[in-house]
Amino acid sequence: MKRNVAIIGGGQTHHAARRHDVNQVEMVNEAVRAALLDARMTIDEIDAVLLGNMEFFEGTHMTDCWLVDGTGVYGKPGLKITTGGTVGATIVCAGAHHVASGLFDKVLCIGFEKQEEGDTGAILSGVAHPLYGRSMAGAALGYFAMMGTSYMATWGAKEEHSAMVAVKARQNARKNEYAHLKLDITIQDALNARMLAYPIRMLDMCPASNGACAMILADEKTAIDRCKKPVWIRAMDSAHNEQFELDWRDVTTTRPIFSKVSAARLYRKLGVKNPVEYFDVFEIYEPATWAELLWYEDLSICGPGEGFKLIEDGMTEIDGPIPVNPSGGVLSTNCIGASAMLRVWEAALQIRGDAGEHQVPKEVRRALTTAYGGTNWSVLIALSKSSDE
Amino acid sequence: MTREPFEQELVSIPMVVDVPYRFAAGKYMSRFLIELRDNGRFLGIRCPSCNRVQMPPRIVCAACHVKNTEWVELGQEGTLAGFTIMYLPLTDPTTGKPHKPPFTYGSVRLDGCDSVFDHFVNIEPDINKIWVGMRMKAVLRSKKQRTGDLSDIIYFEPIEGQDKVT
Amino acid sequence: MSERVAIVGVAQTKFSPKRADVNYAELAYEVIERVLADTGLQIEKDISNSISCSHDIWDGQTISNIGITDVIGGHLRNEEKMAMDGSTAVYYGTIGILSGEFDCTLLLAHTKMSQTNRNIVNNDAFDPIYTRMLGFDYTSAAALQAKRYMHVYGITEEQAASVVVKNLSNATRNPVTHNKGVFSIDDVLNAPIVAAPLRQMDIAPDTDGAVAIIMASEKRALEITDSPVWVRGMGTCYDAHYLGDRDLSECMALEKAAEQAYRMAGINNPRKEIDVIELGEEFSYQELLWLEGLGICEHGKGGMMIDSGVTAMDGDLPVNPSGGLLAGVPANVMGLNRVAEAALQIMGKADGHQINDVKTAVAQGHSGFCGQHHCVIVLGRN
Repeated sequence: MKRNVAIIGGGQTHHAARRHDVNQVEMVNEAVRAALLDARMTIDEIDAVLLGNMEFFEGTHMTDCWLVDGTGVYGKPGLKITTGGTVGATIVCAGAHHVASGLFDKVLCIGFEKQEEGDTGAILSGVAHPLYGRSMAGAALGYFAMMGTSYMATWGAKEEHSAMVAVKARQNARKNEYAHLKLDITIQDALNARMLAYPIRMLDMCPASNGACAMILADEKTAIDRCKKPVWIRAMDSAHNEQFELDWRDVTTTRPIFSKVSAARLYRKLGVKNPVEYFDVFEIYEPATWAELLWYEDLSICGPGEGFKLIEDGMTEIDGPIPVNPSGGVLSTNCIGASAMLRVWEAALQIRGDAGEHQVPKEVRRALTTAYGGTNWSVLIALSKSSDE
Repeated sequence: MTREPFEQELVSIPMVVDVPYRFAAGKYMSRFLIELRDNGRFLGIRCPSCNRVQMPPRIVCAACHVKNTEWVELGQEGTLAGFTIMYLPLTDPTTGKPHKPPFTYGSVRLDGCDSVFDHFVNIEPDINKIWVGMRMKAVLRSKKQRTGDLSDIIYFEPIEGQDKVT
Repeated sequence: MSERVAIVGVAQTKFSPKRADVNYAELAYEVIERVLADTGLQIEKDISNSISCSHDIWDGQTISNIGITDVIGGHLRNEEKMAMDGSTAVYYGTIGILSGEFDCTLLLAHTKMSQTNRNIVNNDAFDPIYTRMLGFDYTSAAALQAKRYMHVYGITEEQAASVVVKNLSNATRNPVTHNKGVFSIDDVLNAPIVAAPLRQMDIAPDTDGAVAIIMASEKRALEITDSPVWVRGMGTCYDAHYLGDRDLSECMALEKAAEQAYRMAGINNPRKEIDVIELGEEFSYQELLWLEGLGICEHGKGGMMIDSGVTAMDGDLPVNPSGGLLAGVPANVMGLNRVAEAALQIMGKADGHQINDVKTAVAQGHSGFCGQHHCVIVLGRN
C-alpha cells in the first residue's frame, strides 16, 4: 500500500439475541459512538464512512441510505459494499484502500446485522441459484453438516472433536463482555445438545445475533499524533469462489480452494514461513465447529487432517501456544455483517492488550484474521503492533 | 452514555417483503433443464482448457476464464461425497413452506463429473445406514410429470446390495 | 492527485426492455468478453481485482454477485460488490488503484429490471418503520421532488418535457439505446400521468443491460491504450434519508460531491471548463436540478439551461448527448453507463453522437430515492 494504515479506534455493541429496544439506526449508532469515544474523536473529524451490510437480511433495500443518521455519513463521502459474511472484513480493506490512496485520512468502517428483523434461514437459502439448489432449504447449516460428515469419514475425527471446539468457544466467550452467547458448557453438554443436522448440534453452530462493530482507520501521521496504541494493517488478501462448486464440503478435494489460496498469497506478501511462529493469535471466522478445524489446516497451522488433533491437544486454547478465537469467535456472536469486522477488531484489541478478561496471556505482536461468506469466500487480514514488521 | 431503564412499550412492526421474480434460466441452464424434462438426462459442460466437467452447465469455466462449448452427457449414477440428516424444518424459499424433518440429503458426484450435486437422498435417516462413498442413482419423475425443474429429480437413492467399505 | 488512474476500455450491451434469452451472468459476460477483447487484456494475467454493481433485491439472489463471480474473474481472486449505483464502482475502483494494492481493475454493472417489479423493489428502500407502508416508490418520491422544485423556482412542466424531447432525440443517434424518437413537447405533456407531475415519458423506462469498464494505473494505462481517459476528480456524498428532512428543491449531496470532484480536478468554473456532461436524469426534471447541483448554473436556473439551448447536442455545453437515462438504462447500471458515455466522448468513440473535441467530461450517478447519494466523476483527455 502507498501509505501505512492503522486502526486507531473501534467499538462494538453488546451483541444479543434480542434488541427490541433499538432500531437499526440506533443500534449502529451505539457502535459508532463507542468507536469515536475509543479514538477520542468526533464524527466531524471523520472524512468518510463505509458501511457493510446485506440488504436482504433485514428486508431493507439501501440500508446505507436509511441509516445515515446513525452512521454519521450525512453530508460526507461514503459507500456501501455487500459481499455476504465477508463484508465486515471487506469494509476494513475498503477503509484501508481509502486511507492508503492519500485521499482520506480518517475513515469510519461499520458492519452490522439485526438478525432478528429478518428470516435468516430463508434468506441464506436465497444464496443458492434460483433454479438450481434453492429448494434444498439446507442453508448454511446443511453445508457445514456435510463438511462434518466428510471430515469425520476422511480423517477419523469424532463428534467429540467438534464438541471440544464448541466448549473452547463458549468458555472464551464467557470472558468477553460483548459476546452474545456466554455458556458454561462441557463436552458432554455439547454432545447432548439438540441435533440440528447430523453431525451439527445446537452448540456446534453459531447463533443469529443482533450487533454492530465500528472501526476507525487512519494514516500514519494521525495515528502517531492521536493514538497511543495504533494497530497497523500489514497485508490483506481476498479470494472468492465460483458459483455452484462448494468444494470445502468435500475435504478430499485436491483442487485449489479459496482459503488455502488466500492464505498462501498473504503469507507470500509478508514473507511468512511459519504462521505459528509469525502470528501470536488468530481470529478466524467459524460459523460451525468443523469450519474451525479446517481453518487450522488451511492456514497451515497444522497439516491436512491434523486439525482435530490440535484441538484435542489443547494447542488452540486461550492460554495455549496457538490461541485461536480468544473472543469466543463467530460461534458465540454472529451478526453477519459485523462478524468479519469483529475478528479484526478483536485481534486489534489483543495487540493493544485491551481484551480484558479474554486477553491472551502472552505478548501479542501480530495477529491474523479470516472471514467467511458467500459461497466459500474469504478475506484475510494481517495486523501488527509495528508499521513495518 | 448512561442508559435509563426502559419502562415504555416497545413497538415491533411485522412485515412481509414479497418480491416477485421471473428468472431467465439463460442459454446454458435452459438447455440443461429442457434435456432433463424431455429426455430425463443430465448434461454437463467440459472446459476446453482444464477439461473438468461441471454441472450445471455454465457459460465460462471460472478457473480458466474461457467459454464452455463442449456438452457432456452424464449418467444417472454417482458417489455420495457428503450427506447430512436434517432435523430442522427450514423454510424452502421457493414455496415458503417448511420441509418436514428428519430428512436426508447429500451431495452426489455423478460419474464423469467433477461437480457435486445436492439433492434429497431417499434413505432412512439413520447415520449407520449412510456413508460417504455410497453409490447412488437418481430417481426421476415420469416424463409426463417432468416440468424442466430440479424437482423433476425426486431424490437420489442407494444402489442395491452395497456394504460399507471399512 | 499525485498518481493518475485511467479508464482504458468500455463495453455496453445494447439496452433492451427485456432480455429473457440470458440470465444475468450471461448478460454480464457479453460486456466482459468484449471489453477484455477490445483492450487485449486477460483476467488472470492482467486484472488485479473486479468490482460489480447490482443489488440482491434486483437480482433475486442473496449475495447476488455469487451469480457473476464466475464471469467477472472472481474465482480465487479479489472481487467485490458495491450495492449502489454503478458510478460508485468507478470511484471505488480508482481508490483501489491509488492505494497501490491494485493496478488494473474490471468494473461491471448489471440489472435485468424485466425480471422483477420495480415498484416493489423501490418500495423496499423506504424505511420499514415510517414510510414503507405508505406505498412509496422512487417514482412517487420523485414526483414530490419535482413538485417542490417547480414550486420553489417556477420550473415548468414544459421545461421538464423539453428535457425528454432533447434526450429521446439524442438517443436516435446512439446505437445502444432502446427508447428513442423525435417527439414534441405536446407528446410528452399528453402522455399518461403516472404520479403528477410525472408522466410516462418523464420516467426512465424498465431496461435490461450491462456495462463493463476497465481501469488502470497510469503506468499500466499507457501500456494498454493510446487514448486513456484520465480520472481527474471524483466525489461522493450522502444526504438525509427522510424526505421531510430535506428541502427537495435542493441537492446538497450533489453539490458536495461535485465540489470534491472539481477540487481534485482543479476546475474552478465548471460551466466553462467542462465540454460535455452525462448525468443521471432518471426523471426528466432531475436533469435541470442536477445541473444546479453540479454548479453549472445557479439554484433555480435549471430551466433556463434547457430553454437557452446551451445543453442541446449542438449547444455550448451538451448534456446527455447519449440520450441519458430516459433513453433506457437499467437501475444500478445507470451511473456506470454515464461514465462509459462520458469516456466514449473523450476517446472520440461516441458513435453517432460524438461531440467535437471533448477534453473534459463529467459523469454523475445517484443512489437512493430523490438522489440521496451522489457520485461525480470528472474525466479528462489529458
